[in-house]
Amino acid sequence: MIKFDRVSKTYPGGQQALQQVDFHIEPGEMAFLTGHSGAGKSTILKLISLMERPSVGNVLINGHNLNNIKLNQVPYIRRDIGMIFQSHQLLMDKTVFDNVALPLVIEGYSRKQIQKRVSAALDMVGLLHKIQQLPLALSGGEQQRVGIARAVVNRPPLLLADEPTGNLDPKLSMEIMRLFEDFNQAGVCVFIATHDLGLIARMKYRSLTIKEGRMIDDGLAESVSPIMDSHDPYAAPVTKLPPKYTS
Amino acid sequence: MSLLFSGRNSSSGSRRVSVFQRLLMGIINHMRQALASLGELWRSPLATIMTIGVLGLSITLPSTLYLMVKNTEKVTAGWEDAGEISLYLQANTTAKQAQKLLSGVSAMKNKIDDARLISPDLALEEFETLSGLGDALAYLDANPLPYVLLITPKPEYLRPEAARQLLSELEQQSIVDFGKLDIEWLEKLYAIVSIAKDIVWIVAILLCVSVVLIIGNTIRLNILSQREAIAVMKLVGATDNFIRFPFLYTGFWYGILGGFLAWMLVAFLLWWIQSGVENLAGLYRTSFTISGLDGSALGIILMISITLGLIGSLISVQKHIKEIEPS
Repeated sequence: MIKFDRVSKTYPGGQQALQQVDFHIEPGEMAFLTGHSGAGKSTILKLISLMERPSVGNVLINGHNLNNIKLNQVPYIRRDIGMIFQSHQLLMDKTVFDNVALPLVIEGYSRKQIQKRVSAALDMVGLLHKIQQLPLALSGGEQQRVGIARAVVNRPPLLLADEPTGNLDPKLSMEIMRLFEDFNQAGVCVFIATHDLGLIARMKYRSLTIKEGRMIDDGLAESVSPIMDSHDPYAAPVTKLPPKYTS
Repeated sequence: MSLLFSGRNSSSGSRRVSVFQRLLMGIINHMRQALASLGELWRSPLATIMTIGVLGLSITLPSTLYLMVKNTEKVTAGWEDAGEISLYLQANTTAKQAQKLLSGVSAMKNKIDDARLISPDLALEEFETLSGLGDALAYLDANPLPYVLLITPKPEYLRPEAARQLLSELEQQSIVDFGKLDIEWLEKLYAIVSIAKDIVWIVAILLCVSVVLIIGNTIRLNILSQREAIAVMKLVGATDNFIRFPFLYTGFWYGILGGFLAWMLVAFLLWWIQSGVENLAGLYRTSFTISGLDGSALGIILMISITLGLIGSLISVQKHIKEIEPS
């Protein structure tokens, strides 16, 4: 579903964000992407959602090389990818309904279809009763769930999440993760960038680790990369985490 | 349309919805966006009123000047005898010769509307009654006045150059002493009107450019104030066009409202000037009503102001919406 083929990214100014990154996520798979802040997690997500383009190498989604996507086609690519952000990225002056309906309005659905789908999406995240409220009146966890409802409302085959539990307490984080699991069981490919190692440890999914722009563990290989630093919790296999992350 | 997933049934079910229905949805969607833009203006009334005020006033000035020039032209068009040609015949011309010339000139039907012969006796009589010098004239031995042929050219020979040409043609007749065409003041008037026209154009162009810049800047501020919302829309797959249209509609509304304001202001200004004009016309013992502010004038003003609003917003939208990218 998502394939990185020796991808490097250098930002203007010479900062090297990714170096020769290779990985492949199968259709219908749910996977985590971990690493320190600044390791390149966000860059990988931005390359998938076409917010950035690779300097070298190819990013493929469902076999289509994103390098061949023209600028005016980018919006149509994004309609196939549900995106969830730590900062929610909601329109604060619009109601929950309007926020969730936005992708459908953009795609030109009829009013009736929009009503139906928005209600269904909000029901899934348990916020149907807040449909007419403004995001400001909601708690952080609720805002995040509105963001998730917006990401899944047009039923994209691929869901990307960038630190979706960043501001939430462990209980809420788990609830959000359970939502992602539900979508995954419905056949959606889910790819989550997070530094919440405890969360990953509790969920038995593939976990890719990135460090200083290099993929040091793609979650598949048995052997451990030589660059791995045993003092770095991110570099260790998640099954051998220090106690504080597994509690 | 899904580029990545060929089997994916996205958008409003492109299979079941007919072309007509999709067109209808598109139109409904545009109307919704247009109304939303109007609502957006309503929500920030002060800024909206100021922008509309600038637009309205900027269009009012050239419109008013234009109407005044138009009306001036209408007034001068009424002064046909300005182009009347007087042919003074030689002093020793006989009545017979004069009559012959009259019939000859009258025959030039394609150039002359009317020709009238004034005999010296008649001229003297007229002079006596009009000048009040009757007693003094009695001392004259003989009538010093020559035969005069008064010629009214056809309308197309009333313009200065044409009239002058006709005059020189008539002066070639053998018994004509000289012809007179009191045209200089008319030429001056035409020159003034033409300068006024140029000024109207210059003012209009300058103000239109400033209107475009003002609208462009207003829309730019609107776009920047919604930077985050635009980034979010782009994230969830909005095309540039989808984001553009509400701002273009904003420009359109500025245009239409500014145009109405301009029309009302022009109407008010003309009403104000009207009493002065009536007073002036009264001094010339005529009556005159300023005209030109009719339905078609409203149409033209609206068309111009809407075009300006759209151009201003288009420039801004083209430049700034591309720049905003989610990060």
